[in-house]
Amino acid sequence: MVKSRSIRLAKLTKSIGGSQIINEVDLHIPSGEFFALLGPSGCGKTTLLRLIGGLEKVDSGKIFLGDTDITDLPVHKRSINIVFQNYALFPHLDVFDNIAYSLVVQGIPKEEIERRVLKILKAFHIESHIFKYPAQLSGGQQQRVALARAIINEPDVLLLDEPLAALDFKLREKMLIELIELQDKLKTTFIYVTHDQFEALTLADHMAIMNHSGEIEQIGTPKQIYEFPVSSFVAKFVGTTNLLQGTLHQLGEDPYMEVPSLGKFHVEIPQKKEWMSEGCDVSMSIRPEKIFISKKPVKNFSNTLTGTVSSIVYHGRSTQYNLLLKDQTRLQVFEQNEEHFPQETIDYDDEVFLYWQKENVVLLEK
Amino acid sequence: MNESIISTLPKRKQLTLFNPFSKKDIPFAIGCPALIWQILFFYLPILIMIVSSIFLLSKEGDVQGVTLDHFRACLNAMHFSIIFRSIGVALLTALICLLIAFPFAYFLAFRGGRYKNLLLFFLIVPFWTNFLLHVCAWFFVLEKNGFLNNLLLSLNLVKEPIHFLNSFFSVMLMMTYHYLPFMILPIYSSLEKFNFSLYEASSDLGATWIQTLKTVLIPLTMPAIRLGFLLVYIPSFGEFAIPELLGGDKYYYAGNVVTHYMLGEHTAPLGAAFTVMCSCFLVISIGLFLWLTKKLSKFLMGGCQS
Repeated sequence: MVKSRSIRLAKLTKSIGGSQIINEVDLHIPSGEFFALLGPSGCGKTTLLRLIGGLEKVDSGKIFLGDTDITDLPVHKRSINIVFQNYALFPHLDVFDNIAYSLVVQGIPKEEIERRVLKILKAFHIESHIFKYPAQLSGGQQQRVALARAIINEPDVLLLDEPLAALDFKLREKMLIELIELQDKLKTTFIYVTHDQFEALTLADHMAIMNHSGEIEQIGTPKQIYEFPVSSFVAKFVGTTNLLQGTLHQLGEDPYMEVPSLGKFHVEIPQKKEWMSEGCDVSMSIRPEKIFISKKPVKNFSNTLTGTVSSIVYHGRSTQYNLLLKDQTRLQVFEQNEEHFPQETIDYDDEVFLYWQKENVVLLEK
Repeated sequence: MNESIISTLPKRKQLTLFNPFSKKDIPFAIGCPALIWQILFFYLPILIMIVSSIFLLSKEGDVQGVTLDHFRACLNAMHFSIIFRSIGVALLTALICLLIAFPFAYFLAFRGGRYKNLLLFFLIVPFWTNFLLHVCAWFFVLEKNGFLNNLLLSLNLVKEPIHFLNSFFSVMLMMTYHYLPFMILPIYSSLEKFNFSLYEASSDLGATWIQTLKTVLIPLTMPAIRLGFLLVYIPSFGEFAIPELLGGDKYYYAGNVVTHYMLGEHTAPLGAAFTVMCSCFLVISIGLFLWLTKKLSKFLMGGCQS
């Protein structure tokens, strides 16, 4: 039987030292989900995690684990474990004893502890380090020990607080894959806190974006968050985007947006939002990779702009063009480097055309 | 050509004597005064003590020869009982200090918040005044119609004033009062540096507060507990002023015996022999203590350290 339960937060509020950290957060994380909590540094996502784990006391609101109200349950009685950002391995215990800790304090028989620890050591490929102390392990090995220690007593929910922040890029990519596979196997609810959008987009089934005032701006799948952000905060925080400011017209048929000194652009409104009205202020978000750049006129695009290339950054798989529009607005465009010898080379100070389809933009309340 | 290359290579380092002006020797140079101090005022006196403990003195106080008589004279029941009483009192003082100091340091380090430094300041303030003033202050508190007796009488807890002074109680009280900071400070500084997320990790993994205390907090602060214990135990073993001033003449401790012999006429070698004997007991008891704390640590950890 898979041991996993859902987490539900109801109007959760927390302030520390007089400043509001968590602001009436409602959140439902289904059982068995890999859920990411993404937000800028200092937005309170770690505090939210600590509230769920029971390391901080709730000011108001409720926390439910499955159907049980655990708001006032002390931390050691919650079947929720945390992988700390600094791992918090016990320095006076070796790898075996660190991992066995939760089983020993429960008073589980010695033979069973040994069996379970050895099994998990093998699964994490750290059986050769069994008698080493945390100080003798590398960052990646410490990470594995911390993970093994947190899952050995089969918690209902595992909380991970930026667990990969201290690892180098290559190791982080490897650990990301291992985490996904681990969660797939265990089916435990994982709640993963990070400020790294790449990690969140890679790992999560669903993710929530928190803003600086400790509120959740948007919940959705990584694709929903990236392609259809609901606010300019989300659009700017997840990925890179270009925001153009203007007014919205002709909501009924063939709507367009008028940007002062740049002209009119066709837009699409798949679902009319309540804030939309004739002539209202609006921001338009266009992802840099959704824009096509060329020196020659091209047909079949709904919108066109002209600009000057101000700088070019080569990223390997793509090239980033920074453009200056005639009203001095800056725009970014990513182009895939599909060919070794492209037909058209774009250089500094070139006059270029920019094209995008109207269905690839997102309109946001200003 | 070969020669010109060789001349550009760094020269092989030559063995030089200690040079206080070279960078490499600076740590040694800094340590030197302490080392000299240690030799002059610690190792040398001990040597003098050991040597003088076998001197045979004439009636005029001149050295006549060498003898083990002083040691033979020391080995009597009275001396042993005094040494064991001193060990007992020192042990009790250290134990009471530990029992008070650990919760205090715990509170100060984890709950002190912004009052930490102020509380620490209050702990050290009494040390700005003279030791004899402390004793006098305690006289006022403990005497027959002193503060404590008045309080007990007014609360109707006792019918007649209690004789606090010149008792074992007043000695222990003063010893604890005097040595408490030596226990608090090392434990506090250790708890202060304690990585609190280890505490959180432990309770997160299902350990109760008591289990966390036993398996994480105490084992990791054990070096400081040991240090504090020794800082209290060793000087309180040799304490002579407090029993002298507050114990009346009822209780004699090792420190009093040493002062008695050392200041007496021609009894200095006897005092030296007694001191050497005391030191032996002290070293043995410390060794025993360190071994016991190791066992205790293991016992507290339960099955957590396999």
